[in-house]
Amino acid sequence: MLGFGLAKGLKYTLKNLTKEKPTYDYPNKPIPLPDRFRGIQKFYPEKCIVCNQCANICPTDCIQLTGKKHPDPTKKGKVIDTYDINFEICILCDLCTEVCPTEAIVMTNNFELAEYSRDELFKNLEWLDENDENVRKVNKA
Amino acid sequence: MLRTEEMLLNVGPQHPSTHGVFRLILKIDGETIKEAKPVIGYLHRGTEKLAEDLQYTQIIPYTDRMDYVSAMTNNYVICHAVETMMGIEVPERAEFLRVMAMELGRVSSHLLWWGTFVLDLGATSPLLYAFREREMILNLLNELSGARLTFNYMRVGGVKWDAPEGWVDKVREFIPHMREQIKGYHDLVTGNEIFLNRVKGIGKYTKEDALNYSLSGPNLRCTGVKWDLRKNEPYSIYDRFNFDVPVREEGDVLSRYHVRFAEIEEALKILEQCVEQFPEEGPILAKVPKIIKAPKGEAFVRIESPRGEIGCYIASDGKKEPYRLKFRRPSFYNLQILPKLLEGESISNLIAILGAVDIILGEVDG
Repeated sequence: MLGFGLAKGLKYTLKNLTKEKPTYDYPNKPIPLPDRFRGIQKFYPEKCIVCNQCANICPTDCIQLTGKKHPDPTKKGKVIDTYDINFEICILCDLCTEVCPTEAIVMTNNFELAEYSRDELFKNLEWLDENDENVRKVNKA
Repeated sequence: MLRTEEMLLNVGPQHPSTHGVFRLILKIDGETIKEAKPVIGYLHRGTEKLAEDLQYTQIIPYTDRMDYVSAMTNNYVICHAVETMMGIEVPERAEFLRVMAMELGRVSSHLLWWGTFVLDLGATSPLLYAFREREMILNLLNELSGARLTFNYMRVGGVKWDAPEGWVDKVREFIPHMREQIKGYHDLVTGNEIFLNRVKGIGKYTKEDALNYSLSGPNLRCTGVKWDLRKNEPYSIYDRFNFDVPVREEGDVLSRYHVRFAEIEEALKILEQCVEQFPEEGPILAKVPKIIKAPKGEAFVRIESPRGEIGCYIASDGKKEPYRLKFRRPSFYNLQILPKLLEGESISNLIAILGAVDIILGEVDG
């Protein structure tokens, strides 16, 4: 019968009218995200041993780092000097945190990266160090 | 005197119904399409060429970006290819997690297809209902992998993360909810007379056409060919599950619609069995060397993605990067039949026919 299918559809619409809203009130309230969510990295300069593994595994080559000699001459190894991530090309794939042996670089739940100029998307060591909100609790499986 | 004249019409590349950047050059006579010429490549990123300079682990995030609607199957195909070359046995728990993630991806992919397809035909609200359930799946996958679309979840030899606490129970609760919603979708759209008039009997092709154009997935099964790699060439642990391969005989747009809906239900069946048989504990990653080097030689594997057969060919010369990598991307092959389908059709049917092919431009352009 013509119109029966339409009426059935309308019934479904009416049934859903009184249901709870499934949308988020996003900019006004933060979006609930799971702990594993991959957002902008947090960097701990004191933990870094300058092993370069993160820069090597990065699929888009967005990490650049340099190290310097340990200031304490009795200790061996290097300490981090500069550490930059280019968020123009970073795809937040999580491979850098996966290979880091000391968990010096970890993911956070922050994902808002909009800036007015491209230059501002280059984040340096200080910025990444200060990005310490919502840091991921568990970093390795 | 009344006369008609042939006209060139550009559809796209920025047309909302093409779901990406896809251009169609139409030669039309009045409302009838005389010739259709697809122009692709606007989203070409050269994944295959880039992969030649990347280690196998680094290629996985790139595959997320090909078929971004069901990235889990893409993750799987590259890992499966490398595992086949290296002869790695994947732990059982990892296989279960992979299958669950892939089947959830299949449901979400078909939901997105349903919503946008009906939206193209002029019904706005089904999209919102489809996205409501899709959001639940994306949240589940987000909890599992840490991302909503570009999962980067699978690794050569297993998966990155184990299931978080209570995740399997959430999947268990989701299955009956989804079944209930599918009934609602059928009420909302499938019986609608306007919808049926727009999709019944158009965009028809035969079994021979489908095979000659090497179509796969629902585009092939809608013509009566019962070919699903999960059944015909079982990979992973699909041989353990009991499910049907939905087939329709008509070969028109409506039959593709029904096949995809039936596939959602079959995916839910597989998910249900996965949840039941999910091993209590066990490793999620096989013992693999830190730097993965596929042995010298070549391998081709293929699996069933929501859009069809996705294949991965690797030629390796024993280094940590592949010598050559090639993906058989189902959307690209399925799109080939479009000029034939559009010839002689009316412009008003164009969107329905294009929508039913279900292309993802990230995959078409590679």
